[in-house]
Amino acid sequence: MKLSLILRRSALHLVAALAVVPALSQAALYISIVQGLGGQPLYDEQFVDARKIIEAASNTITDADKVFSFSGERATRAALLKHFTELGKKMATGDRAAIYLIGHGSFDGETYKFNIPGPDLTAQDLKSILEHLPGRNHFLVNTSSTSGAMLETLVGKGDKASNPAFVVISATRNGNERNATQFGRYFAEALRNKDADLNKNNNISIQEAFDYAEKQVSTHFQDESKLSTEHAQLRGDGATLFNLARLNASEQKAELASASGKLVELLKKRKDLEAQIEDLQVRRSQLNNADYLARFQQLILQSAEVSEQIEAAQKANGPIKPMIEADPALPKPPGGTRVP
Amino acid sequence: MCLEQQQARRSTLAATALMLAISASTALAREPLYGALDHADLLRCEDLFWHGHAAEARSCYHLLETASTPITIRAEASWALGDLQGANSLFQEAVKAEPKNALLRVRWGELYLQTYQYNEAETLFDEALAIDGKNPWAKIGSAEALSKGGGDSATINKLMTDVVENDFTPAGVRYRGLLMLLHNALGKDQFEQADKVIKDARAAAESGKLPQLELYALEAANAFMTFKPYQAYIDQALHEDPAYGDAWAIPGRFAMMTRRYRESGAFYEKAVLVQPDHWQAHLELGQNYMRLNQISAGVDHIHTSFDGDKFNPTTINLMRMLEVFLNQTEAFSFPNPPEGPFPKLSLRLNKSESSVLKDYVRELAEAGMATYQKRYRFTPTEPVVIEVYPNHEDFVVRSVGMPGVGLLGVTFGYLLAMDSPTAHARSESYHWGTTLWHELAHVYTVEASSHLVPRWYTEGISVFEEWRTGPIPGRKIPLDVYKAMAEGKFLPVEKLDDGFMRPTYENQVIVSYMQGGLVIDFINSEFGFDKIVDMLELFGKGVKLKDAVQQSLGISVDVFDKQFKQYIDIEYGKLLKNLPGWQADRKTAFAALEKEDWQGAVDAAKRAVFAFPDYVEADSAYIALARGYSRLNDKDNEFRTLETFWQKGGYASRALLALGNDYIERNDTEHAFKVFKDVVWADPFSQELHSKLGDLYMTHKEAAKALREYLVLLSLNPPDQADANYKVATAYQAMNDKDKTMQYVMTALDVAPQYRPAQSLLLELSRSTTAKQ
Repeated sequence: MKLSLILRRSALHLVAALAVVPALSQAALYISIVQGLGGQPLYDEQFVDARKIIEAASNTITDADKVFSFSGERATRAALLKHFTELGKKMATGDRAAIYLIGHGSFDGETYKFNIPGPDLTAQDLKSILEHLPGRNHFLVNTSSTSGAMLETLVGKGDKASNPAFVVISATRNGNERNATQFGRYFAEALRNKDADLNKNNNISIQEAFDYAEKQVSTHFQDESKLSTEHAQLRGDGATLFNLARLNASEQKAELASASGKLVELLKKRKDLEAQIEDLQVRRSQLNNADYLARFQQLILQSAEVSEQIEAAQKANGPIKPMIEADPALPKPPGGTRVP
Repeated sequence: MCLEQQQARRSTLAATALMLAISASTALAREPLYGALDHADLLRCEDLFWHGHAAEARSCYHLLETASTPITIRAEASWALGDLQGANSLFQEAVKAEPKNALLRVRWGELYLQTYQYNEAETLFDEALAIDGKNPWAKIGSAEALSKGGGDSATINKLMTDVVENDFTPAGVRYRGLLMLLHNALGKDQFEQADKVIKDARAAAESGKLPQLELYALEAANAFMTFKPYQAYIDQALHEDPAYGDAWAIPGRFAMMTRRYRESGAFYEKAVLVQPDHWQAHLELGQNYMRLNQISAGVDHIHTSFDGDKFNPTTINLMRMLEVFLNQTEAFSFPNPPEGPFPKLSLRLNKSESSVLKDYVRELAEAGMATYQKRYRFTPTEPVVIEVYPNHEDFVVRSVGMPGVGLLGVTFGYLLAMDSPTAHARSESYHWGTTLWHELAHVYTVEASSHLVPRWYTEGISVFEEWRTGPIPGRKIPLDVYKAMAEGKFLPVEKLDDGFMRPTYENQVIVSYMQGGLVIDFINSEFGFDKIVDMLELFGKGVKLKDAVQQSLGISVDVFDKQFKQYIDIEYGKLLKNLPGWQADRKTAFAALEKEDWQGAVDAAKRAVFAFPDYVEADSAYIALARGYSRLNDKDNEFRTLETFWQKGGYASRALLALGNDYIERNDTEHAFKVFKDVVWADPFSQELHSKLGDLYMTHKEAAKALREYLVLLSLNPPDQADANYKVATAYQAMNDKDKTMQYVMTALDVAPQYRPAQSLLLELSRSTTAKQ
């Protein structure tokens, strides 16, 4: 009973997600990272750290020439609008865009603004940027204070409002949450932390990063014995299937580069099986429970056997040396002591 | 009473309310007029009513409902007939017609008093006093409204004095004032004063030819509380009015206030028998049954009370609480089936959290019961019942009938109710294990003394047991108490109950708890533990404190107080002198952390720890010291600081989890176990705790215990469902339960198909099945 319930819930989740995210694996992913003004050395440092982590994580999931980073004097409204106009021309209909806004925001009761040098980016600018990108399935995360104020412009009024064309995350519930936020640094940290990888597929999805960051923010305020001054929001469908980072990307690249013919064949076989499992989970509601479980178990067993063979082959080949060593300059994880 | 007003901040205090001195919710039935009005027809009806001729009285009141009767008297008749809305409208009309009539507003105010609207009543009495500043009826009404509405005691005393000590006060109103004083004296155990007031009241009643029903009932209560025969007084009241339920209910209320719930129940049962429409008595009987674990009888009477009186806020609160209690509670008994005529322990837990709490509550309760049975030479003759409430207000309403009270646990004899850990924010550092331990001690001390133990003595034992045998041993004394100690605010033992029931300064209740604990600790140190139990047994025989001290310890209470003071000087004299310096260092340490001056924090915290090594609350210098060392990357000293913090009884769960992980890293699983078990008593809803504890049990090949922890982890709905299900599967595998192993490993894989450990386990299961075939 317990098993069937859990399976059903999980499968429905996937169905909902896949319905709006067709053929993700074939789409190119373009990532734009914008670091806004810190205002104080403490925040400057935090924002630089978050940007660097996101840049590194982005390079694990897409080609380096599809990752664009803006900070300091380069992050002006004019430069950003120009960048997104050009990006729109470059992208195909099936491509996706991920946009990170790291910084402070403000809200005067009417207009939300993301703080950058010169004129700020407004909620209307953000809406225009998203709407002018070709296709759908885009993502924007805004980690700034008051960022919840942009939601109404982007997805409409109400807690359940969403736009089918994109997934949006704000660090705050609305424009009244004005304190500098903690969400951004934890969201960035999620992109390289295996604790965030709840489905153990070595990819960090939007949903996983959001869940991780939301939990860490809650723990942060609990430890400080303070009421939480921010409540992150996620709007839109497809967050579970939109990956933002790959955890063992360098090992995978190295493995493929040095793999024997047999190992390549095994890796391909495992990938095929994973696709079949995913497909089966999506079609869960069309099958009776016994059929589903029998097929699921069969595929999982095959996948497990292939994984075992892969590990044996890897062992025979000796340890894999990552093609890219971890960047020692990357910031350490956030958080201080273990003792509250 | 202060306890009910004060939020006990410290978990280790485990504030309790054994004594339910809820005088503010005493019965509010219509009272005799005592000469307030002199309308002959009305008085004839009143006379019939107060002599038990209810039917005749009703006919009489109905005759007054005619247009020719003055509107004021019609209002009184409607009131007497139970038409409170009609009475209200008539009073409104009457006041409109006679705006300068003070007595009219007084009577209208009395109607509001009966319907528990104390602020509105007080406003009307104030208006009456504005018209006639000397009106004694307005003064007495105002005093009562303020008293029930939690008003300022100085104002109440002034109003009472004006009425009672004024030779020109009419006999009826003075008599009513004396009755109020008598209630007050009995509520404070001031029996000599009560005797004096009874004499005055009797004289006033006789001279004014006033009804003496309530006076007889109060005399019965006085006699009951002083262990004298009381039946004759009740008989006299009933002779005057056979349907006078308060003849029984008033002594019942004082029995309840002194925690003699069985006797209280017997009084109330008779009250509703002679007066079936005594809704307040039904309510209190219902609450009393609930305290005695007779739930259905309790629920029935509370419902009856609500059906008869829908104004009573206590009944309304209880009805709401019962909704939750009856529909969301899951009950468990141990052993199951019972080994004797009844189970030893019953738990009532909210369904939403029973899967997390059940085993731990049981484990701690059984350990406590074994400890206390031996120490206090008492074997329970009924099951011990423990109720745990995730909603603090539900718990408080269950305990005292009204929300907004800062209690953590309450014991009614064999039944104790307490807050769940989830009733408090995790940052509040509520230690549920200590609260349970504290309350459980009451079960033994209260029952062993037949409910006759003084309040401070049973609280003192409970605090002492927290320190000596509880889940986090070691004296835990809040800072405020040290300050009170330094200022010489400890009371002589004979007055110590006042510190609980009639506090005169903020935090005095907490100070009294701690003094109680220290007094018991002093007896234990100087005279031996057996003397503590001897005294308890003497109380059970009705021996008063003064004599119990003399008989058991061989000294007078005065000498006892002197010796206790010397003991405190020896124990805390040096500390009290160093207190300001210690506080300054502790504050400096935390301030340095804020400024990221790690070395400064370490230096100041070290000084504070040296000055006061036993202070281990969440704001202790140990925490600052551990943080400082952590920031300086001095892992060894961080570990040693946390270890000392824990050994001294520190219970901040994040700190202990960090220490437990350190022990694991150091391969010291024995200490890791102990530390994690201690976290269970503080923070059982920590997912990390159950994951780590389960892993430790698995390492120690105790799969059943690991399974318990992993199932608790799963019930807490952790984000990493795959790992939690996999852990459960591994525990089942170690227990050779293949079906369950398969069930959980498949669930793990459904969440995370590529989860390698789960895949490996599935392969292993599959291959072992194939091999057998």
